[in-house]
Amino acid sequence: MLVLTRKIGEGLIIGDDITIKIIEIKGGAVRIGIDAPLDKKIHRQEVYDRMAEENRNAANWDITVLDSLCTNFTRDKKENEKD
Amino acid sequence: MKKIETRFGQVEYEPANLLHFPAGLIGFPTLHDFIVMPNKKKGPLFWIQAIDDTEIAFVLTDPTNFFLDYSITPDETERKQLQIDAEEPCFILSVVTVPPDQKISMNLAAPIIFAPSTNRAIQVILEDSSYESKTFLPNA
Repeated sequence: MLVLTRKIGEGLIIGDDITIKIIEIKGGAVRIGIDAPLDKKIHRQEVYDRMAEENRNAANWDITVLDSLCTNFTRDKKENEKD
Repeated sequence: MKKIETRFGQVEYEPANLLHFPAGLIGFPTLHDFIVMPNKKKGPLFWIQAIDDTEIAFVLTDPTNFFLDYSITPDETERKQLQIDAEEPCFILSVVTVPPDQKISMNLAAPIIFAPSTNRAIQVILEDSSYESKTFLPNA
């Protein structure tokens, strides 16, 4: 990983179209401004990681469990229709 | 028709009908093409099977089955990825987690936007929303 030291108001340019600027440093937190094309999605790392983890969990399932769930759904529906 | 072996057995598919994720799913950036598996039993759940990794399949559902007011509109960049214009319809799907204890949840914070006219889909992250990545189904 490339590591650089920047001061408030200084910035970085990545490629031709991404600019990162240090806006404020306060109480252990850094405010960062980013200019990037709209097609470059920007996410907080922990949010992105959590979604990837959710997808990994979701990929791990068993067909028999799904089958019995689907049976339950259909039964619930029928019961509702009766009401 | 083509055939692949999956952990659910042999599956036949028509390559032209594959669901294409140009960017893959989050955490699975290399899986672009999925077979949409029809659910033999009635109900809101179905699944998609990756053709490039036969171990990977995701259960999906239309979240509006459970949350009527859930709606997402793709922005211009997302429409470009889906190769649709603003008038073309698209549908929202949610990734469902089916744990052994059957307490199934869906990820409303990272929905899949699906464009039927191009068979393309993207998974997006709703960063500044109140939707939860683990939303339990009302009747589960």
